[in-house]
Amino acid sequence: MVAKQIQQTSKAETPRSAWLIGLAAWAVPGLGHLLQRRWARALLLGGAVWAMFFTGLWLGGHLFRVSASDQGLTALLQLLPMTANAGTGLLYIFCWLTNTGFAEQAQRITYEYGNTFLLVAGLLNYLAMLDAFDLAAGRKQ
Amino acid sequence: MRHLLWMAAFAGLTAIVFGVVARGSNRQRLVYGLKVFGEFIFIALALGWILYFLPYR
Repeated sequence: MVAKQIQQTSKAETPRSAWLIGLAAWAVPGLGHLLQRRWARALLLGGAVWAMFFTGLWLGGHLFRVSASDQGLTALLQLLPMTANAGTGLLYIFCWLTNTGFAEQAQRITYEYGNTFLLVAGLLNYLAMLDAFDLAAGRKQ
Repeated sequence: MRHLLWMAAFAGLTAIVFGVVARGSNRQRLVYGLKVFGEFIFIALALGWILYFLPYR
């Protein structure tokens, strides 16, 4: 009963702009905070995610994607890291469209570091997206 | 040495995000970010030394 009331209240109070800001924050790291004129947060969050993403590519990491040939468990093993990579929004989509960063370079000594940087860049951007959404919805100061 | 530097870079960037999205005053969030950074480094070094003494390859 109480949970239902809370759910109804939160739904009614969430402005539509908060969803759009959340979408913008996912699409371009830092943009959700920029749109709310939170300059310092935008610089720190966006800067950290962008830096992590490009450092990951520079270190020889690769992005994940599910291809048509992946079936069953193989597809699942690709889907989870792909979901993490996709957290970087348009950066991932641009790389996907231009086929950049998907080649494995396991011979490089920093290969695993690069993978980790790329995965965590996406995951951190999901956090930044939720932060931008909460700020826009007035749930956080 | 290079591994330690990349690990520190990873810890620093992650700590920035954790510190910024945390709740509390600016000072509390700064302290939290520094604590996260320190924990990353400490745990990585501790695990590194533990694994160093394990005889398995």
